[in-house]
Amino acid sequence: MASDPNLGKKSRLYLMGAMLLFWCIAICGRLIYLQIFRYGSFVKQAEHQQQRAIPLSAKRGVIYDRGGHELAMSVLVDSAFAVPSEVKDLPTAVSLITRITGDDHNVVLADCRNHKTFCWVARKADDETIERIKSLRLQGIHFQKEPKRFYPARDLGAQVVGTVGMEDSGQSGIEHAFDDELRGRAGKMFISVDARRKWFSDVEKQPEPGQSLVLTIDKNIQYIAEKELDQAIHDTQAITGTVIVENPHTGEILALANRPTFNPNRRKEITPGALTNRAVSYVYEPGSTFKLVTISAALEERLTNPDEVFDCQMGSIVYNGMRIRDSKPHGLLPVWGVLAESSDVGAIKIALRLGEDRFYKYIRAYGFGQQTGIELPGETRGMTKPVSRWSKVSIAAISMGQEIGISPIQLAGLISTFANDGVWIAPRIVAGKVEPQGTPQTVAFHPGASHRVISSFTAAEMRSMMQKVVLEGTGRKAILEGYTSAGKTGTAQKVDPATGAYSKTKYIGSFAGFAPLNNPQIVVAVILDSAVGLHQGGQVSAPVFRRVTQQVLEYLHTPHDLPLAPNHQLLAQAKVKDNDLDEGTPDHPGEPLETAEVNGDSAQTGKASVASAPKPSAGSEGSVVQAAMREIETAPSAASSDHSSADHLPADHSRADHLQADQSTASASAQPQLPATGTVVLDVEQGGIEVPSFVGKTVRGAVEAAQEAGLELEAVGSGVARLQSPLAGTHVAAGAHVTVQFGR
Amino acid sequence: MSRYVSFRDFDWLLLIFVLMICGLGVTEIHSATMHTKFAGSHIKQIYWILGGVGAMFLLSAVNYQLLLDRIHWFYIAGVASLMAVLVFGQKYLGARRWIKMPGGNHFQPSEWVKLILILSVAKYFADLRHRELSWPDFIKAGAIVGIPMLMVLAQPDLGTALTYVPIAIMGVFLGGMQWKQGVLVALLALIGVGAVFFVPRVHVLKSYQKQRLTSFMDPENDPQGTGYQVEQSKIAVGSGGLWGGKGSQTHGAFLPVPQTDFIFAAFSEEHGFVGALGVLLLYFIVLMRLTQNAQTAPDRAGTFVVMGVVAVLSFHILVNVGMVVGFMPVTGIPLPLMSYGGSSVLFMFLALGMVMNVRMRRFVN
Repeated sequence: MASDPNLGKKSRLYLMGAMLLFWCIAICGRLIYLQIFRYGSFVKQAEHQQQRAIPLSAKRGVIYDRGGHELAMSVLVDSAFAVPSEVKDLPTAVSLITRITGDDHNVVLADCRNHKTFCWVARKADDETIERIKSLRLQGIHFQKEPKRFYPARDLGAQVVGTVGMEDSGQSGIEHAFDDELRGRAGKMFISVDARRKWFSDVEKQPEPGQSLVLTIDKNIQYIAEKELDQAIHDTQAITGTVIVENPHTGEILALANRPTFNPNRRKEITPGALTNRAVSYVYEPGSTFKLVTISAALEERLTNPDEVFDCQMGSIVYNGMRIRDSKPHGLLPVWGVLAESSDVGAIKIALRLGEDRFYKYIRAYGFGQQTGIELPGETRGMTKPVSRWSKVSIAAISMGQEIGISPIQLAGLISTFANDGVWIAPRIVAGKVEPQGTPQTVAFHPGASHRVISSFTAAEMRSMMQKVVLEGTGRKAILEGYTSAGKTGTAQKVDPATGAYSKTKYIGSFAGFAPLNNPQIVVAVILDSAVGLHQGGQVSAPVFRRVTQQVLEYLHTPHDLPLAPNHQLLAQAKVKDNDLDEGTPDHPGEPLETAEVNGDSAQTGKASVASAPKPSAGSEGSVVQAAMREIETAPSAASSDHSSADHLPADHSRADHLQADQSTASASAQPQLPATGTVVLDVEQGGIEVPSFVGKTVRGAVEAAQEAGLELEAVGSGVARLQSPLAGTHVAAGAHVTVQFGR
Repeated sequence: MSRYVSFRDFDWLLLIFVLMICGLGVTEIHSATMHTKFAGSHIKQIYWILGGVGAMFLLSAVNYQLLLDRIHWFYIAGVASLMAVLVFGQKYLGARRWIKMPGGNHFQPSEWVKLILILSVAKYFADLRHRELSWPDFIKAGAIVGIPMLMVLAQPDLGTALTYVPIAIMGVFLGGMQWKQGVLVALLALIGVGAVFFVPRVHVLKSYQKQRLTSFMDPENDPQGTGYQVEQSKIAVGSGGLWGGKGSQTHGAFLPVPQTDFIFAAFSEEHGFVGALGVLLLYFIVLMRLTQNAQTAPDRAGTFVVMGVVAVLSFHILVNVGMVVGFMPVTGIPLPLMSYGGSSVLFMFLALGMVMNVRMRRFVN
């Protein structure tokens, strides 16, 4: 055996087998290590490289009005993105797409070159654009649903609600001020491609939808304010205008309208000027409305009483070497007459009695010179100088509303103080936040800070004096039908930015008041800038106040506190001569007297346009209101009327909005109609029917889908549905019309 | 010699295990290429396997002794075909490895040279009757393998060239190599490799080959380049886990050439540790069965032939699996019987035909 060469060979065979076995064991050990011990890490690595992380924008919170109507909401639309490393011919692909979207080819191309794995090429495009991109069948172009901001109420309260940018970040208005709450938390989605070239997505982190906000705005009141402001702008050719409707007891802003305005759904057409929320950011010299501060302060300090007679010196006074003239000469006037006729001389005399320090204290107490704290961005403090910086004629100027800058919201706050028994209350526009969920939720509105400025007694005196402004003075265009009302006119010359001097042709006419007199439901402030022709507050703004207040009180089912006047009387009221309302534009401190003389003519020039200015008759307005109310009442709602008790006066229990008066508070029972300390019941689900997407359906399919959803379909064209209005995801009333355009 | 040779002595058990491995390979090729431009490769692979089985039967019918007697002619033909590749070969990815055959097929001579080398080495050592190998024997054996190996290296095809090495090693090892010779040759080889790799002036290795080796040593350093393949392979194997997964590495085209060189990674990803272990076990059984056949060979030449096949087969498996799990650099060596490819399949079945040939004649003496 020893000589057999096979012997050595055999032992070597075993050796080789052993080495083989060793290798096998090593491999097995390696496999155990890779596949069992490091399994988790490798799976993660595999996912990491097989998937592309895409931020998944969260659905932005809804902005509701107090009735639960959406003012801003997010609907899902398609966006197209490129995975540039997958696109064969990137420049061609991008140019094909930008030809459809109209975007800048070079910008998109540069973006795609910078981001090899992911790059948007068409964000939140409409269905047609997406369909056209899809039909290109480009490799490496994919689609993703993204929430797009949609404003169902279009320009209603546009500056309040605000706008968002492309990434859904708030840029103005509430959208900006509450961006953190509304935005939610972006999720993360991993998109992976398999060998089938089919994309499948794994959502690793669900986006958390943002909180929804409930505004104190009432969509219907807002509509009234917008409509009447439009009318006023049309009638007066004013360049800008603002209407504020406020609940004086709680500070809730019920409507806030500005002109110029914009449709937030058409982002590209928005001009920067239209975005400005003038109600909070516009500083203007108030003019005569500020006499309310002067007189109420003097009354509160018991320096005078409403019936004390002042000598208005036939409209001319010289103070510290400066002569001030009323536009209309007045002789002896009681204090209420000074207010009603808006005598500058009278106001100056009262202010002088008050003295600078006390006057300034009241100016601050009424909230001037500081922000009201309303939840809107860009609020101004106004312009008030401390007494130390007053000139020797400042007290005279400020007493009649010059040398001081206020914002419209501050004016509303002043009027609210009188309507709220002397307590200033901070205006608020956000009722509360709600978590996004489908069930009805109750939002409790907590009124803002408040403080007493004047006594209840003084406030009552002020209210009755303000009523006389309306009944006998410059505010006669603010007389309502069936309701008492009170207010104050104001006309101020604008400072010409070119010369720094007061303009002789540009005026800011304002009217701010409340109604009804003894149980004020609403405060309405109207400011019109640079009306052409008639420009005085009593001429241009008081009618807006009347139309808005009349309709809002009817809408709120406020009981009439006056018998409804026969029609002929109403007509007579409507024919109040404009020049009778002339409150005069005060002379200007520091201006030569000769030039100041011109003021008297302004009313004359105004007369010429009286006839041409269309004035809707009060009678016809009433019927309009009724019609509007009927429409509102038929809106789908589950208004909780069971809360109405005996002291809740209205016969009507089916309020369109979902407001409940909170009976637990005293003020609520005192103001049964308004949600005084307003509890807003928000019913998210009952916002209407969600419009389904009809795109891609045949006419027959679309009709069936519409029937199923309870909508009326208006088919245009034939073939396959291409476009629809309103968009899918919009909430509309049951039985609403949906227009669908069909095409081949 | 004239004794009746029967297919009853055919190693049917071995064939069954081999076909099982082939079957797993076909299913994996199907899965890995399902939605790529290589879709349908598994059908082609089946044809290759069927052809291979046929060739195996044919080859087993020819007495290996006859082949061994004429091996010098085969050797010359093999070297000539390698020469032809260097001259007329199709250049593909920077290397001339194939000769275009009429009918559109590509023929890779380096594969069948492997078979010739197994036979040549077997013949050489079978004829040596010393118990111990002398230095001249050693050098001659080295030359028999070395000449074609250098020619393949010149293509350049390092992977295939390396597969010739185990044939030589197996030959000298079983042919009576002395330990001191082994140690000396191993040392020389180490120095040689070191020189080739670390001395910058020596340009024996192509830069991509160097890169493969560097990235093998530090794969994470170069995850998108050459190390990418190793990393992807490890991720694929690792994410298979115990029972396997959906195979997204394979299907997502992250794993390079999942139907050929990295088929074991693709298989491991889809079938997990259990599947991988099963395949390794099948290979182990096949190798053990082959070794057993080597022991029962009728003569010394037969043992060398079978052990040559074992050497090549195990080397392929070791290197390929080692590469897949990150033990070894990427060399482009397929996994025999599983990887897609006609040349590889044909070679394996021809080699098995040789084994069967030897086995069927084990009672001849």
